[in-house]
Amino acid sequence: MPVMRINVGPIHPSTHGVLRLLVDVDGDTIENMTCHIGFLHRGVEKLMENRMYMQSPSYTEKLDYVAPLGWDDLYVHTVELALQKEVKETAKYARVIIMEFQRIASHLFFIGALCNDVGQMFTMFMWAFRERDAVLKFLEDVSGSRMFYVNMRVGGLMRPLPDDFYDRAYKLTEYIAYKVKGYKDVIDDNSIFMERTKGIGTISKKEAIDFGLSGPNLRASGVEYDVRKKYPYYAYDKLKFKVPTSNIGDGYARYKMRYEEIFESIKIIRQALDKMPKDNDVVGFPIKLIGPEAKPDIVINHHELPRGEGIIYMVPDKQKPYRIRLRSPVFISLSALEHICKGAKFADLFSIAGTLDVVMAEVDR
Amino acid sequence: MYEEHDPERFANAEKEMTKMLQDSLKKRKTPTNTMFLRLSDFSKAVSSGVVKWSRSNSMWPMLFGLACCAIELMDFGAARIDAERKGYLLFRGTPRQCDVMIVAGWVTKSMVPRVKRLYEQMASPKYVVAYGECATAGGPWYESYNIVKGIDQVLPVDVYAVGCPPKPENLFAALMKLQEKVGGKVAGSEERTIAENPRRAENERV
Repeated sequence: MPVMRINVGPIHPSTHGVLRLLVDVDGDTIENMTCHIGFLHRGVEKLMENRMYMQSPSYTEKLDYVAPLGWDDLYVHTVELALQKEVKETAKYARVIIMEFQRIASHLFFIGALCNDVGQMFTMFMWAFRERDAVLKFLEDVSGSRMFYVNMRVGGLMRPLPDDFYDRAYKLTEYIAYKVKGYKDVIDDNSIFMERTKGIGTISKKEAIDFGLSGPNLRASGVEYDVRKKYPYYAYDKLKFKVPTSNIGDGYARYKMRYEEIFESIKIIRQALDKMPKDNDVVGFPIKLIGPEAKPDIVINHHELPRGEGIIYMVPDKQKPYRIRLRSPVFISLSALEHICKGAKFADLFSIAGTLDVVMAEVDR
Repeated sequence: MYEEHDPERFANAEKEMTKMLQDSLKKRKTPTNTMFLRLSDFSKAVSSGVVKWSRSNSMWPMLFGLACCAIELMDFGAARIDAERKGYLLFRGTPRQCDVMIVAGWVTKSMVPRVKRLYEQMASPKYVVAYGECATAGGPWYESYNIVKGIDQVLPVDVYAVGCPPKPENLFAALMKLQEKVGGKVAGSEERTIAENPRRAENERV
């Protein structure tokens, strides 16, 4: 059979973001695939080097626009390490709660979009977005903005938490737990979903480590690695939670990791709400940090973002970073896509890309 | 559907039609002004009334997203906003069946020819909504070297929705505005914006 070359994208209803794939197919089987990236490149790192420290969060949160607070939080924590400022005790717990809600919102988005990709059209999409909207509404009331909450400040948050923060957060966790348990009937026993994800895009343990995957994609292949557990930051060392792992490593396992992480996040939120001091002393320094005395050393910081381990390398200067470099977990999983797809069917391409949970703005930067 | 009155195409038909009308009037000998219809007036009346009404009430947007605003575009299609009640929610995967192009997200220089090509593939009465700061004027990436500072440097834009990102309600309002514009209820409804920017020629060459 002659090999046919198919061009997919860059604008395609099923590509997540703007991604171009050149696929060589032999019949229905993928022989070779090449990713062309860079359609969303806008030079974030260079722009951040020309901004004062606290002007940059509006750039960092547009890296991963499904979970904007992840990079925001990581960047502000890196700045705190560079400027040697302490985070307030209540703010540590508040950040943990907000970040875990963001993780839930991101995983709900993943479930909705994945079910669209594998052909289980629109039911799960509608359900997952309904719950995601409840989380977004809560975060909007906390921070003041619907999607891009520029909520983090050095030393804490932008503004005090609302009065009914505790009650609303607790009720929201109950609501999400109740609703997400109902997904099991629609997804887990669904023959379409099983056939399109089980045994497809399998990554072995050795491959996953060699590729450099992180986050739920790595844990689905049987490696128990979570930055929150291994190198705890903020208040994660005082909270009890499990790290869900699976030994199978296919698309279904990657979905299952995220599904279980939603419940672990709910556990973390409830514990943090109970342990949080009730003084509501969370407001950090104002946005105009003029003339801070930065540590001259290189700062490297890493967090567990919803899509994996994000790392920031920063060479601080007096008012703005001299050099900043972002290590995106999504870029790594996208580079693994080329190898996983070899030998798979063409129709499974978007099932595999969907389970890897790719956000293109973070890849291109 | 012809978009505008084409004089060459209808010149002969018009003459014949008016002649027939005049002859019939002479035979009947009932001089009424209302009967004295010219075909051009008739076509104008049709195009301004029925066509505008039908165009404005079946807006089909294109399933096309670039960046973060596309997430809010997905939310627009999801449960919270019932966009179907105004006839917007047939998101099509192909440009040939679409009326509205919602440019959601920043447009890089490598993306310009592709966005342009999509616009050219759409069937003729076609409208563009610039959704968000980046598509309106470059947004936070204004100083970047790889960003087109507003999609109106490349395509003619009908409605701008401003915000970072605009809420789905904003898009709803923008599409309702576009409906009014297409229906001829807004003054200057024929106007479309193309930025007069010195960089425009430069971007066209990309």
